[in-house]
Amino acid sequence: MSITREDVLHLAELSRLSISEEEIEPLMKDLDSIVSYISQLNELDTDGVEPTYQCFDMQNVWREDEIQEMEAKREDLLALATETEDNQVKVPKVL
Amino acid sequence: MSEYKITVGIECHVQLNTKTKLFSAVDNDAVDKEPNSCVSPFDYALPGMLPVLNKEAVHKAVQAGLAMNCKIGLESRFDRKHYFYPDSPAGYQITQMYKPIIGAGVIHLQGFDDVRINHAHLEGDAGKLTHFDDYSLVDLNRVGTPLIEIVSEADIHSAAQARAYAEELHRLMIYAGVSNGDLYQGNMRFDVNTSVSKNDKLGTRTEVKNLNSFRSVERAVEYEAARQIALLEKGEEVIQETRGWNDATGKTTGQRSKEGAADYRYMPEPDIPPVILTQEYVDKVASELPAMPDFYRNKFEALKLDNSEREAILNYPLLASRLAEVCDKNVKLAPRVAHWFSGVLLAEENLDKDFKLATANELTELSEMVEKSELSSTAGKDVFIQLYNKKNTSKTPHELAKEMNLLQENDEGALEQIIDEVLAAPECQKAAEDVRNGEMKAIGFLVGQVMKKSKGKANPGAVNKLIQKKLS
Amino acid sequence: MKIADKNTKAVDLVQAALAKAEEYKDYNVFISMNAEAALEKAKAIDEKIAKGEEVGKLAGVPYALKDNYSSHEGNTTAAAHILDSYHSPITATAVAKLEAEGAIMIGRANLDAFAHGGSTENSYFGPTKNSADNTRVAGGSSGGSAVATALNIVEFALGSDTGGSIRQPASFNGVYGIKPTYGAVSRYGVVAMASSTDTMGCFAKKAEDVDLVMSIMAGQDKKDSTTLPDYWTKNLNEVQPSKKKIGLIRDCFGEGINSEVDEIVRNYGKKLEAQGFEIEEFDMPILKYGLAIYYVVQPAEVASNLSRYDGIRYALRSADAKGLDEIYTMTRSEGFMKENQRRIMIGNFVLSSGFYDAYYLKAQKARTLLINAYNEAFEKYDALLCPVAPTPAFKLGEKTSDPLTMYLEDAMTVPASMAGLPALSIPAGKTKDGLPVGAQLIGKAQSDQLLLSIAKSCEEA
Repeated sequence: MSITREDVLHLAELSRLSISEEEIEPLMKDLDSIVSYISQLNELDTDGVEPTYQCFDMQNVWREDEIQEMEAKREDLLALATETEDNQVKVPKVL
Repeated sequence: MSEYKITVGIECHVQLNTKTKLFSAVDNDAVDKEPNSCVSPFDYALPGMLPVLNKEAVHKAVQAGLAMNCKIGLESRFDRKHYFYPDSPAGYQITQMYKPIIGAGVIHLQGFDDVRINHAHLEGDAGKLTHFDDYSLVDLNRVGTPLIEIVSEADIHSAAQARAYAEELHRLMIYAGVSNGDLYQGNMRFDVNTSVSKNDKLGTRTEVKNLNSFRSVERAVEYEAARQIALLEKGEEVIQETRGWNDATGKTTGQRSKEGAADYRYMPEPDIPPVILTQEYVDKVASELPAMPDFYRNKFEALKLDNSEREAILNYPLLASRLAEVCDKNVKLAPRVAHWFSGVLLAEENLDKDFKLATANELTELSEMVEKSELSSTAGKDVFIQLYNKKNTSKTPHELAKEMNLLQENDEGALEQIIDEVLAAPECQKAAEDVRNGEMKAIGFLVGQVMKKSKGKANPGAVNKLIQKKLS
Repeated sequence: MKIADKNTKAVDLVQAALAKAEEYKDYNVFISMNAEAALEKAKAIDEKIAKGEEVGKLAGVPYALKDNYSSHEGNTTAAAHILDSYHSPITATAVAKLEAEGAIMIGRANLDAFAHGGSTENSYFGPTKNSADNTRVAGGSSGGSAVATALNIVEFALGSDTGGSIRQPASFNGVYGIKPTYGAVSRYGVVAMASSTDTMGCFAKKAEDVDLVMSIMAGQDKKDSTTLPDYWTKNLNEVQPSKKKIGLIRDCFGEGINSEVDEIVRNYGKKLEAQGFEIEEFDMPILKYGLAIYYVVQPAEVASNLSRYDGIRYALRSADAKGLDEIYTMTRSEGFMKENQRRIMIGNFVLSSGFYDAYYLKAQKARTLLINAYNEAFEKYDALLCPVAPTPAFKLGEKTSDPLTMYLEDAMTVPASMAGLPALSIPAGKTKDGLPVGAQLIGKAQSDQLLLSIAKSCEEA
C-alpha cells in the first residue's frame, strides 16, 4: 500500500471533503490501485522531453483593454447566492 | 543587541491601472463604486467561464519590469494557485509560478545599498471581505484586478532601508505610469519577511502581510527585529509564521494560519495560451519609457539640493520634470525654483490633484526677476504662489508682480529723493551722525527708514550704498 | 435530417420528439424536459416560414442537450446534486449558435456527474439505459445524448468528450459521435471537466448530419482563448484523402479486446479497402501509457476546475453546515458523487508538493512523446483505425464496484484526447446479441471533416 490512511485524510483536507470513518478504508484501496496504475509512467524515459500543457502552440491570445457589456449583471449573479446582504455574498464569520 | 544582523526581504503587490481587469472586460476602477458592481460572470466563477487576457496589462507589466531594470521574460505563462477562501471565487488564483513575465533586476537606493529583484509576476487580485460579529460579507470588485507581485532578494538590513526600498518602488511605478500608487486605496501593499541572526546563517523569518504605508513597513521591521532579538536573548525560539500588523498599537501579533501546511498545488493554466514577446517589442517599450527618478537625480546634482529636498520633489513626477525643464533653460535659476517647490508648494500642500503647475518659462522668468533684484526673495515667493491662482493663468510673473505692487525700486533718482527726506528727518539725525563717525551699524536704522518710506519696494542693497555715499 | 419548411411544421417535429421522449421515459434519457419553450419556439419558426422569412439551417430541428451546457432554458445540473438547483444566467456559445440557426432544445440529457465516467451510472439522477438492451449501460459520460439519438427521439444531440465521453456511448448505441480537434468548438459556458482536453461534439445518425451541426457550432470565440480560427468551412465532398492509406493500430486489437469487437472493427477496415483505401497494420507502443497519462492530467484539471463548487456563491449550500469550513466540506461531500470525490483527491495528490514532478510533470512529458508518435503515424496515413471500446455495452452495475476497471474502458479513446486530435466513432456493426459496436477513426489535428468524408463514403457503399 503506497497510500496510507494519513494520505487519505490529508487529501480530503486539501480537497475540502469530509470523509466518514467507514469511507477511509475503501478510499485507501481505490486511490492506491489508481496511483500504482499511473506509476507505470516511470517506465518511460522522458529525459530532455518538454512537457505539453496545451495541445497547440497558440500564443498571445488577448483582448484590447476596453470595458464590455456582460451577459449577466450583478443582480443576476447575486440572485444565485444562498445568502446576500448589502449587495454582497454573506458567509459565516471568517476567522 | 547590536551584533544581531537584520535581514529583510519584501514582496510588494502593485495594482496596475488598466481600464479593465486582467482576465475579464469589466471596469477595473472600483473606487467609490457599489459592492460587486464591477464583477463579471468569470470573476464570480460561474461554471464554464473562461479567462481572456488583457493585452494592456501585459504591456504595463513590461513597463514596470523595465522601470526596475529587470530582464523581461520573452516567454511567460500563467499558473493556478489553489486555496479555498471566500475572496477566491474559483478556488484558485491565476498567477505566474513557473514562467513569470519579469525576471531579475536591481533597485538603486539613495544612501543605502542596492536591493536586487528576484522576479515579479503578473496575477489577479483577490476579493475583499468585511467582517461583522457573526458573519462576513464578500465583495468581488477587486477580484481579477491586475497585480504585479515584486519579490526582492533578502538584501535589506535595516528598517530605514526597507522604507527607502518601498518608497523607491512606489516612485518607479508612478514614473512608469503603471499604477495610480494610491496607498490608501491599496494600490501598493507590502509583505515584509524579517529575520535576525548573529552569524551568516539566516535566522527563522516571520512574515508581516498587507502593510499599506511606508511608515508601517519601517515600523513593522523595527518591531519584528526587536521582538525576535528579545526572544533569542531569552533563549527562546522564533516561530516561522505570518503575523498581523496593528497600526494603532505598532505591534505585530501571531495569526493562527495554516501557512506551514499550505500546499497551493500549482498547475499550469490550461485556458490561457502562453505570452510570447519579441526583443524588438521589449526594446520599443524601453525606448518609450518615461524618464525615471535616477535620470532626474543626475540632472539635479548641479543644483546642490540636499537629499531630503530633492527626494521630496522626486515624489511628484510633474515637479521633477518641470524642474528639469527649468534646468535646461538656465541651471543657475533652477535651485530657487526647487526651493519654491519644496518650501512653498509642498509645505503649503497646494498640490491638489487638478492644480495647474506654472510653465518652465514662467518659473524661469520669476526666478530671474529675483536674481536681478527686481523682486525681493519674499516677494518672489508671493508671486510664485499667485501663479497657481486660477484667475492668474493668463498673466506673466512680471505682470503679476507689478499688479501686486512688489517690483523693487532700483531707480537711483527716486531712491535719492526718499533718502534725502529720511536724512533730513529729525529722528534720524543721531544715526546719521554715528555713520559719519564711522559707526556703520547705525546704517541699518537708516536703511530701515528708507524701506519703510518706500513700502518695501526699495532695493536694500542699493539704498545702503547710496546712504554711505551721501554720508562719507 | 428533417428540417422545417412549408410542408414540414416545426411544431410537428417538436411534438413528435416530445412524444418519443415520453414513450422511452424509463430509459432515463433526460434530466429535465423543455417542452413548453420548445413548442413556443417551434410556433414562432412556423410563423416565420409562413411569412417567408429566413429561419436558419436547423429550423425546427429538435435536439437533446447534454446537461453540462449552460443555457437560460432549465437548470444546468451536470447531473450533480451540488449544481441541481443552478439556473445559469449565461448561454454556452455552442448552444447560442445552434439556436440562432433555429435548432430547438427539447430536453437536457443525462450524464455521469461532471462527465466523470463511462457508463452514465454516476448520475445523481440515476443511470440511463442502453438503447439496444435496457439491462446494459448507455456508456458515458454523454449517455443520455447518445441514447436520445439512437432511439430517434431527436435528430442530433450535443455531448462533450474529454477522454471518450462522446465516442464510447456512440459506440454502445450505434450512432455517430464526433470528438472534434481540441479548440474546434468553444468551451464557453460548458461546465469544465479537464480544460486541456475538453471538446464539444455531437451525436447523429448520418455523417452529413454530424458535419452540418459541427459546421454551425465550430469556430473561433472571443470568450474562449483556445478556439481555432476559420474552422469547419469546407463542403464534405471537397475534402479528399491525400494518401488513400489508413493505419490499423495493431496495439488496439487482439488480447484484451472482445473478439466480436475485434472482428467488427476489422470488417470496417475491409469496407474502407473497398473504398480504395490501403489498410496497413502498425504498432504504437506508447499507447500502452495513454491511460496512465490521462489519469494524471485529467484528475489534476478536474480537482482544479471543481474548486469553485464551494457552496458560497451559487447552487447547493449544505443546510446543516455551521461555520465556513463546514460549508466547504459538507457541501462538497453531499454535492459531489463518489467518483467526483475520488478524482478530486487523485488530482490533488498528483499536484501536491513533492509529487508534482513525479506524476504531473512526468505525465505532461509523456504526453509530448504520445503526440510525437501520432505525428509520425500521420506522415504515412490519412487516418488511424481502432476500436472505440474494448467491449460492447456492459451490464448495469457490472463495473461500478472498481473504479480502475471502469477507467480501462477509456484506454482506446483517451490517447487522441491527450493529443487534441479529432476522432470519430462510426456505427460499424452489431454483436450476435445485437449490441452495437463502433469503429474509431482518428485523424491528424484539424482533419475533422476528412474523417467524416471517409465515413460518408463507406456509409453510402
